[in-house]
Amino acid sequence: MMGKIGRVTGTIGPGKLGEVMVPIRGGTEHFHAYASDGDDTIQTGTRVVVIEYFPPRTVVVTPM
Amino acid sequence: MDNQTTYVIIGAAVVGVLFLVVLFKAMWRVAEPNEALIISGLRHKAGTTTEQSLGFRIVTGKGTLVVPGVQTVRRLSLDLRQAELGIECVTHQGIPLGVRGVVIYKVGDDFSSIANSARRFLDQQAQMDHRVHNVFAGHLRAIVGSMTVEEMIRDREKLTELTRASSGVEMEKLGLIVDSLQIQEIEDPSGYIRNLAAPHTASVQREARIAQAGADREATEAEQVAEAQKALARRDTSIKQAGYQAEVDQATALAQQAGPLSEAQAHQEVVVQQTKVAELEAQREEQRLQATVRKPADAQAYHQVTLAKAERDARVAAAEARRQEVELDAAANAHKVKLTAEAHAEEVKVAAAADAQHVKVRAEAEAEATRAVGQAEADARQAKGAADATAVRAAGMAEADSIKARADALAQNQDAVIGQELAKQWPAIVEAAAKPFGAVDQLIVLNGAQGLSEVLAQALSQGATGLKMARGLLSNSGLSGDEAAVESNGHVEVPAATTAPEADTAE
Repeated sequence: MMGKIGRVTGTIGPGKLGEVMVPIRGGTEHFHAYASDGDDTIQTGTRVVVIEYFPPRTVVVTPM
Repeated sequence: MDNQTTYVIIGAAVVGVLFLVVLFKAMWRVAEPNEALIISGLRHKAGTTTEQSLGFRIVTGKGTLVVPGVQTVRRLSLDLRQAELGIECVTHQGIPLGVRGVVIYKVGDDFSSIANSARRFLDQQAQMDHRVHNVFAGHLRAIVGSMTVEEMIRDREKLTELTRASSGVEMEKLGLIVDSLQIQEIEDPSGYIRNLAAPHTASVQREARIAQAGADREATEAEQVAEAQKALARRDTSIKQAGYQAEVDQATALAQQAGPLSEAQAHQEVVVQQTKVAELEAQREEQRLQATVRKPADAQAYHQVTLAKAERDARVAAAEARRQEVELDAAANAHKVKLTAEAHAEEVKVAAAADAQHVKVRAEAEAEATRAVGQAEADARQAKGAADATAVRAAGMAEADSIKARADALAQNQDAVIGQELAKQWPAIVEAAAKPFGAVDQLIVLNGAQGLSEVLAQALSQGATGLKMARGLLSNSGLSGDEAAVESNGHVEVPAATTAPEADTAE
């Protein structure tokens, strides 16, 4: 899971739970996403890298 | 023997193969792409699955061997599911709304989600929708309560974000993921949404009406311009048609008049010629009449005139002769009458002169006599008048003296004077009383001589009564001596007049 590249589909921001679509298991699934830098705001459509995974549906991402 | 044994071996092998196939079929389970197999029973080898503590195995997307009677296989559907939501709630602004929505979810594809889900819903997959509905109703109420109506309608991003934030963790507990939350319908009992739309609606309607009116106006203007141009064209056409028609009518009239005109002209020529012929005929007739009628008539007239003149002259001569004859006769008669008249006149004149002389002499004699008589009478009257005047003056003086004396006496003794006066007047009073009887032509007295004397006595007594009255009046007015004197003076003249003839006779 770590290292996968995904795309932001819901804006990630401070205090806001974002959403990213990540290709996995032959399809794409959406995960709840937080920014690795807590003050960072990541707009929709930005390509991000998963750097941390909290099962079952939460990831921490950082912009590429 | 060998063949028989071979058949047996072959048959046993076939049966064995068939048995193995059937056994394999009974033990092999395949997970469809939309489901997960939950296998529990024998402990399986460690490391093949993530969840090992609970001792069941999860298989997705492949087949696996299951030992019948030892292991049980359950299938958990990974299909998309949906739950209908219908709640009454208020928005962030406190506006009550009825929201109907649908949440679309599924069991997560990872083994953690499948394990969570399997532990909760494996025997209650049919009731999963109901559970999710109950959970999500509260979430939706919270979501709507943190949004405004405008945001609900327009801001999908915020809706999904809020959905994720409020329900994501809770759904993770259930091993579910929310693919989508859709708000299908918003009931708006307070009319907020309709009012929200009203300004824009009104604006749009206004624009639409303005555009409509403008278009209508432009269309009408264009129509009117077109009508005007059509009318212009029609007018021009009519004018040209009328002009052409006038020309045609004129030409037609000329053409129609050409025949009669030429006919008239020809007729005129004929008439002119006929007139000339008639004139010539008239001249010829005149000449003929001159020759046949006038000349003989003139000759006859001349003949008759000449005869008449001769006759007239003869008559004139005869008349003249008679006139001279009569004239001479008349002159002779006149002369004779004149002489006779002159002689008669001379005779009359002489006679008249004699008469006149006679009358004149007599008149002169009479005049002389009359003058002498008149002179004598005049002298007599003059003398008489002088005597009368002297007498009257003497009487007046005497009367005046007597009145004066009487007035003096009256002032002293009225009754005596009045009595004297009445005694003096008595004859006149009696005469006045008898005067009515003198006017009577025929007096019939029923009592005879005695009656007459009674009438007279009555008259006299009336006079006596009047005497008393007079006396009374005089006595009453006696104090004013001048008036009494004047009154007495009026009465006095009567005896004076009566005395005048006495004086006349005395002289």
